[in-house]
Amino acid sequence: MPDATTLRGPRRQACLSLRAKPNPSLPAAVATALGVELPTTPCTHHRAGERGLYWLGPDEWLATAPAGAEDALQAALRSALTGHFAVTDVSGAWRSFNLAGPRAIEVLRKSSPCDFHPRAFAPGRCVQTVFAKATALIAGNADGDFDVITRTSYADYLRRWLEVAALEHPASP
Amino acid sequence: MGAGGGSLPRPSRSAHPTAPPAHPTTRRLPAGGRIDRSQPLRFTFNGRSMSGFVGDTLASALLANGVDTVAQSFKHGRRRGIVGSGTEEPNAIVDLGDGAHRIPNQRATQVELHAGLVATSGARRRLKRFAGAFAGVMPAGFYYKFFMGPPWLWRRWEALLRRAAGLGAVPTGADPDTYDKLNHHCDVLVVGGGPAGIAAALAAARVDARVALVDEQNEFGGSLLGAPQAIGDAPATQWVDAAIAELSACPNAVLLPRATAFGYYDHNFVTVLERRTDHLGATSPCAPRQRLHRIRAKQVALATGAVERPATFANNDLPGVMLASAVAAYLNRYAVAAGTRLLLFTGNDNAYRTALDWRRAGRCVVAVADTRASPAGALVAQAEAAGIEIHKAHAVIEAIGRKRVAGALIAPLSEDGQRLAAKPRRLDCDLIACSDGWSPAIHLSSQAGARPRWNEEGMMFLPGAPRQPTVCAGAVNGAMSLAACLADGAAAGARAAHAAGFGDARPRFAAPPVEEAEEDAARPLFIAPHVQPSSRAPKQFVDFQLDVTAADIELAAREGYRSVEHAKRYTALGFGTDQGKLGNVNGVAILARALGQGIAETGVTVFRPAYTPVTFGAIAGRDAGELFDAERHTPMHAWHMARGAAWENVGRWKRPWHYPQADETMHEAVVRECRSARQDIAMLDASTLGKIDVQGADAATFLDRIYAGSFQRLGVGRCRYGLMLREDGTIFDDGVAARLADTRFLLHTTTGNAEAVLAWLELWRQTEWPDLDVYFTSVTDHWATAALAGPKARDVLRRVCDDIDLSREAFPFMSVRSGHVAGRPARVFRISFSGELCFEVNVAAHDGMDVWNALMAAGEPFGITPYGTETMHVLRAEKGFIIVGQDTDGSMTPDDMGLGWAVRHGKPFGFIGDRSLALADHRRADRLHFVGLATTDAAAVLPEGAQIVAASTRRAAKPTTPRAMQGHVTSSYFSPTLGRSIALAMLTRGRERLGETICCPLADGREVSAQVVRPIFFDAEGRRTHA
Amino acid sequence: MLEIHCPYCGEPRSEEEFSYAGEAHIRRPQDPAKLDDRAWGDYLHFRSNPRGAHRELWFHAAGCRRYLNVLRDTASYHISQTHRVGESPEDV
Repeated sequence: MPDATTLRGPRRQACLSLRAKPNPSLPAAVATALGVELPTTPCTHHRAGERGLYWLGPDEWLATAPAGAEDALQAALRSALTGHFAVTDVSGAWRSFNLAGPRAIEVLRKSSPCDFHPRAFAPGRCVQTVFAKATALIAGNADGDFDVITRTSYADYLRRWLEVAALEHPASP
Repeated sequence: MGAGGGSLPRPSRSAHPTAPPAHPTTRRLPAGGRIDRSQPLRFTFNGRSMSGFVGDTLASALLANGVDTVAQSFKHGRRRGIVGSGTEEPNAIVDLGDGAHRIPNQRATQVELHAGLVATSGARRRLKRFAGAFAGVMPAGFYYKFFMGPPWLWRRWEALLRRAAGLGAVPTGADPDTYDKLNHHCDVLVVGGGPAGIAAALAAARVDARVALVDEQNEFGGSLLGAPQAIGDAPATQWVDAAIAELSACPNAVLLPRATAFGYYDHNFVTVLERRTDHLGATSPCAPRQRLHRIRAKQVALATGAVERPATFANNDLPGVMLASAVAAYLNRYAVAAGTRLLLFTGNDNAYRTALDWRRAGRCVVAVADTRASPAGALVAQAEAAGIEIHKAHAVIEAIGRKRVAGALIAPLSEDGQRLAAKPRRLDCDLIACSDGWSPAIHLSSQAGARPRWNEEGMMFLPGAPRQPTVCAGAVNGAMSLAACLADGAAAGARAAHAAGFGDARPRFAAPPVEEAEEDAARPLFIAPHVQPSSRAPKQFVDFQLDVTAADIELAAREGYRSVEHAKRYTALGFGTDQGKLGNVNGVAILARALGQGIAETGVTVFRPAYTPVTFGAIAGRDAGELFDAERHTPMHAWHMARGAAWENVGRWKRPWHYPQADETMHEAVVRECRSARQDIAMLDASTLGKIDVQGADAATFLDRIYAGSFQRLGVGRCRYGLMLREDGTIFDDGVAARLADTRFLLHTTTGNAEAVLAWLELWRQTEWPDLDVYFTSVTDHWATAALAGPKARDVLRRVCDDIDLSREAFPFMSVRSGHVAGRPARVFRISFSGELCFEVNVAAHDGMDVWNALMAAGEPFGITPYGTETMHVLRAEKGFIIVGQDTDGSMTPDDMGLGWAVRHGKPFGFIGDRSLALADHRRADRLHFVGLATTDAAAVLPEGAQIVAASTRRAAKPTTPRAMQGHVTSSYFSPTLGRSIALAMLTRGRERLGETICCPLADGREVSAQVVRPIFFDAEGRRTHA
Repeated sequence: MLEIHCPYCGEPRSEEEFSYAGEAHIRRPQDPAKLDDRAWGDYLHFRSNPRGAHRELWFHAAGCRRYLNVLRDTASYHISQTHRVGESPEDV
């Protein structure tokens, strides 16, 4: 089907929780350690190759990288940061789905009350929100596909939910 | 074609002077309508096979097949026919399908006909017998008055009434269809796809606003579909087609036909039920049958139109009495003449269109009875020119007929319209089309909080001042002409778009020229007078669905129900599934007259969601069956499944409850698992426990304020049991906290409280102590946890862990070490909820399964057994460890639970809950204390929740009741280790009563006696734990 | 279903993402030990319950997990302002 929605995942990545009080030296320190620019605009994320950095709150970010990189990245962050911060390996806590296809937005709209219309949700946006009966971090990528990042314990449930929600592609909204 | 048998219209008894010499008697017209005559359909109604066409509704097909009676009325068992043509229909309520597919309470006027449709009219077989016994003696408040009496009598009535009540039948199986939900955000939501709604949508879409247009019909056009009007030089439907094509081409416009906006909630949140496959008659596993749209709109434009108001006169419920607009809609849209000889009863010009259309279709118009003395509008002139007889200042006062209308009594009205000026006379007819005016469909506006206001000029309730970002357009605003609707709609659409940030509020929309007839003022009667007063005249129905008559409303007024809301509840006016769309305004007017006041001061009842009934399936959506709730699985879930675990739901987690082998009972499995833990080695999946990583220079300071105990001086690598209290001093949560580094802790919470505890920590950090440098991160999902419990735990772990010194000296109880287990990075806690030597092995979730398997293999020579939550409960109860939420109920302090040792008073800051522990009530001597109970009969296991009373001192024949409650059992099990029943309980002054015998009276009448003991049954010295 | 503007995320979000956390601006007494039982009880249990403007604390539980202050009319449910913890609403 040409407009079929492709569902991939759940996939495991290296995930680090970063919490730090914003200060002038923070963006440079994080960029040096992770190779990704720190998103300071609410509800946005930055990507650099296979690494991602997501804004979760005014002093909270999620860094992702290919599985296995967690220890090295954690060490890099800890040596680069100063002042009050917390870095925690949460690689086991998150699993990532990817939704692609022209109807992917509809699958998201079946699952979350957020606005995913291109006017409201351009590539580079990310939101933490209610997703089905669980919660998720949803990120819009440059290629028009979406990552749905969710707690590991909900991955079985959400995989089934997404499969079911992606089943149907009506001709009109 | 068309007439498939049944009661065909009977020939008229006398030729009418104005009747054409010969008129057709089949109901389906030979041409016209929006039906597809090339696609005939067969369907079944009440077991009879009938035919219709694609484009028919069930109602139009029933009329075409000559079906007059579609239901028997709810209370009086009277014959009822189709009255309306849309959502207002009160009578033609049918069940569709059968068995599990059955859908009750559908309006035949809104059911699209499809091949093989099976319909049953709901109220048919019901109250007949019951009503027969009381025919004519069921006034308003009948139930309240009649069923006063001894309670035992009511029970008998209840059984009878329950059989008789309700309008539909319940489906016999689980619903096989699928449903789902879709969220929307838009700038302008337009409700109603008639001329005003389409114009509003166009105006908003043309300035690039995100627009959604919803309409409950299968095609857009609203009233234009049933009226042969022109817009510009072409039929109105061509204008509709062009407009819809333009909207469809807009990337930011969403069109939803077959979609009813049924709820308008706070902050412009509107719920819409879309019927996606009902008109296809087939169940598709992929396409949901219905979809619930949840629409958040910056602006809502209500173009919901108006519903024609029926006339109230004697026997006005006889089949063949219909709304004038419905008669026209069936004629023009479905090419169905609902009768042959039409009598029109109206107080306005608008309804004359029905008579003119009827005549144009070559049918007989017997006469028009017009309530006005000298109507002078253009349509009246047209009717007169066409030779239609008009009885001015007349009213239809009674319909005559047995199975359907055979005639009518009409009579001249007094000047005030409240009495008759002369004797009535009879006209023969088989169809009475009536119009007492129009009621704007203000339901959604009312739901949104706007109080309806009475408009004396238009004699209608209009939407009140909006309390939300709402605009109203078209007939709902009182604009009754097509030109006014188009202009009003366009203006409203542009205004709404502008308010949402698009355009300049001037519609980019040239209103097309529309042929308009100048209309004279209307004169509604609300109720036609009769030669008899309402109480003695044949019944004058106001609410058809619930059989409420004018006499009922007058009686309610006489009995003192002055508020419209009270009268509604007393008479049941507007209580049906149609929410009184037809009858409410007439009812209010009759009440107002009976109370001697105006309609404006009487007011109208508040409308609430849902506008039309909604299936439970749509409300559930996909949250059904396997997706009913969000299940949380641990990393070892698949292993437990393969091992045949029985499950316990703990919060949303699926936890193994026990692992039965072969045909073991639960008791046998638990005995086996307990023995293994106490004698050898057993393993529990403890991944679900909440875990929070706490980091920051002030971490210890913060925890000192949050926990009742002290954490400042806890050594790195050591663990401590902590109690979190609410500010009122009661226990909120408990768990072990470990110091991983000087500025880093790991907190364990109970499984069900993990999120609440994290929110609690954030609350204090963010709102009270932002100056403390501390951060929290949930790591519950990151770690997989296997608890190895039993005397052989060290031997098993040693086989897969070689970089941690597991010796008693190097790794004492209540400490934590890092290393590798089965080659994976691991954090091992020496803590114990079982009272055994125990190591809790934590590895990253993705390593969990491998490490679990490695531990099982390492334990095999020692007879390792996986154990579930039931065994966990038994083991901890033997040790007297509490479970927050089971042994505590939100009113217990640490002292109540014997946990005073975990509280440290005198810390520099104190702690949350500290001050409350000093409150007089918390220091009472007679508080409940946590104790153990040892039943006198070692085999008797008390039920949890059992109440405790004092044991009877004398051997009296019967203990006296009531006896004062002294507490209750919180946990109770059979302990395989001790070979006896054990229980934990909260007991008044319990700690002072050790050794005393108490008594638990059970629900079945038995009494179980037990001795009060300390709440620890096994290894009180803790030798095993520290082994 | 309310729509609440989250001052941290900088955009309106659906009520489903939030949980209510009680009346806002209830200050914890600096030295609880100095209060008598009655004064402590007032802090613990007594809250205003106005018909009209009400200062509320909400938690963006499924979103950024920050607490926020909301000025909500308890009769109309209209939310006139939201702001970060530590910021004060303009005078009502």
